[in-house]
Amino acid sequence: MLRVENLDVAYGHLQILRQVNMNINNGEIVAILGANGAGKTTLLKSVMGLLPPKAGKVFYRGEDVTGRAPFELSRLGIAFVPEERNIFQAMTVEDNLLLGAYFVKDKAKIRSNLKEVYEMFPRLEERRKQLAGTMSGGERQMLAIGRGLMSKPHLIILDEPSMGLSPTNVLIVFQTIKTLTSQEVTIVIVEQNVDATLNVASRAYVMEHGAVVMEGSSQELSQNDYVKKMYLGQS
Amino acid sequence: MEVLGQVWDFFATSMMRGGMYSLMAVGLALVFGVMNIANFAHGEFYMLGAFFGYFILSATSKLGLPAFLPPIICIAGAGLCVALVAGIIERTSFRALRKRSKGQWLMNTFLLTLGISIILQNGSRIVWGGRYRGVTRMWKGDFLNSLLDYSLPPDRLIAFLIAVLSIGGFVLFLNKTTTGRAIRAVSQDEVGASLVGINLGFIHTLVFSLSGLLAGIAGASLLSVTPASSFMGTMPLYKSWFVLILVGMGSIGGSIVGGLILGFLETFATTYLSVYLGSGSSEFVCLAVIITILLIKPNGIFGKSVKSAVE
Ligand SMILES: Nc1ncnc2c1ncn2[C@@H]1O[C@H](COP(=O)(O)OP(=O)(O)OP(=O)(O)O)[C@@H](O)[C@H]1O
Ligand SMILES: [Mg+2]
Repeated sequence: MLRVENLDVAYGHLQILRQVNMNINNGEIVAILGANGAGKTTLLKSVMGLLPPKAGKVFYRGEDVTGRAPFELSRLGIAFVPEERNIFQAMTVEDNLLLGAYFVKDKAKIRSNLKEVYEMFPRLEERRKQLAGTMSGGERQMLAIGRGLMSKPHLIILDEPSMGLSPTNVLIVFQTIKTLTSQEVTIVIVEQNVDATLNVASRAYVMEHGAVVMEGSSQELSQNDYVKKMYLGQS
Repeated sequence: MEVLGQVWDFFATSMMRGGMYSLMAVGLALVFGVMNIANFAHGEFYMLGAFFGYFILSATSKLGLPAFLPPIICIAGAGLCVALVAGIIERTSFRALRKRSKGQWLMNTFLLTLGISIILQNGSRIVWGGRYRGVTRMWKGDFLNSLLDYSLPPDRLIAFLIAVLSIGGFVLFLNKTTTGRAIRAVSQDEVGASLVGINLGFIHTLVFSLSGLLAGIAGASLLSVTPASSFMGTMPLYKSWFVLILVGMGSIGGSIVGGLILGFLETFATTYLSVYLGSGSSEFVCLAVIITILLIKPNGIFGKSVKSAVE
């Protein structure tokens, strides 16, 4: 589904990612773990075309998509929910969601997708006429995720989806992720909430200082002493 | 009847001017709100509209069409031609600049628009010469006169109607169509817009062309009031900047109201105050009012803190 080969990314002369390799199969949930500043967001942004890589390649469904613009990748079926959310603040919740289906032509499909998103997040339906900029942090999070789902993507990339959410809403997000897999959506998720993430993910990569230092199934990793100590807070 | 005629005259002139300033200011606000460009070549779009309008009108009036058709073709055609020119300018200059530099965008594009303005002014002068090209009257029919029983210049009222229709259509487009919604999305969050699949390059070119379209319509429909000449764009450019400063940068709804306010202020000053203040009275009064408003509300009358450029 998604393959990243020897990716190098730099901000000016400051190199952040070094030789990152990843391979994500169809229908998988894959987690990317790592401390603050490890380069997770940088990796996702360069996969999505928001940051041009210095070297290396990105393949999506076998096709080389390195250097493609974000809008092209979006139309190919990749939805990215960024850390900053990037919602349209002066528009209503519903307009934000409708824009999520910007390139979907079939009106009936847009309506049914909207209904599904509202079922997933009833809070959004209650607030559908509210301006997105006046929503609470958690509500914006839901909106950003909902907007990402509106185009029925094949691959959804989530950067810290549970950040700033209350425990109930974190639960909703992880439940949503689980239901998505039954719909054959591939998911890449970056999370600080390591415990919960390893519970839903099938595999995970661990990043440190811009490089992948470990990879394995969630089970292996949650048993690993190093991961336990560094990310799960167990001794 | 004399007084009534004066009142009519005052209103017709105010509304014509106001409508045209609104048309100009809306395009300026759009480009500023969506592309973050302070376009100082906007007045040249107005000038090109007048020239294109003049040539189209002279060509079509020879064809023996019904009297109302040539002006319509003239205004629509001029708008479309200017939109095309604006689109080409966007593709060749701003898009190229966007690829090469990210920093200092506002300053660099400002300088670029100044350069474009000088090229268009002098280029048009080389091509079309220094002669003024205007028409004494655009709309031939006398229906308004017979209706109201005294002489009323229909050109000015029709120019106002055209402004209302163009702006109305534009606002509908912005709010009711998918593409319009995409334009608003780009003005609010470019990254978010590209993530939902909006082609930023396409929207930028479209927005610049639309601003050209509106300015071209303004230039062509006032052909009988201000004849086409190479340096005619400066005045409407400054006036539309007045409007933006007055109402707050980048607010489209505000630009419409602001244009009308300016139109009335100016006409009031020239009609009633120039006796005391001399020929510069309209500039004096407008600037005085703007300074007063900015002292009270530094963000403009409709200025807001949330970035919601295109509404
Ligand atoms: N625009 C930028 N210019 C320069 N350096 C940057 C820029 N953005 C990020 N960095 C640096 O790149 C490194 C990786 O940042 P990144 O945001 O990818 O980390 P992260 O793993 O997502 O961290 P977090 O868990 O805090 O979100 C950090 O050291 C950060 O300071
Ligand atoms: Mg991050």
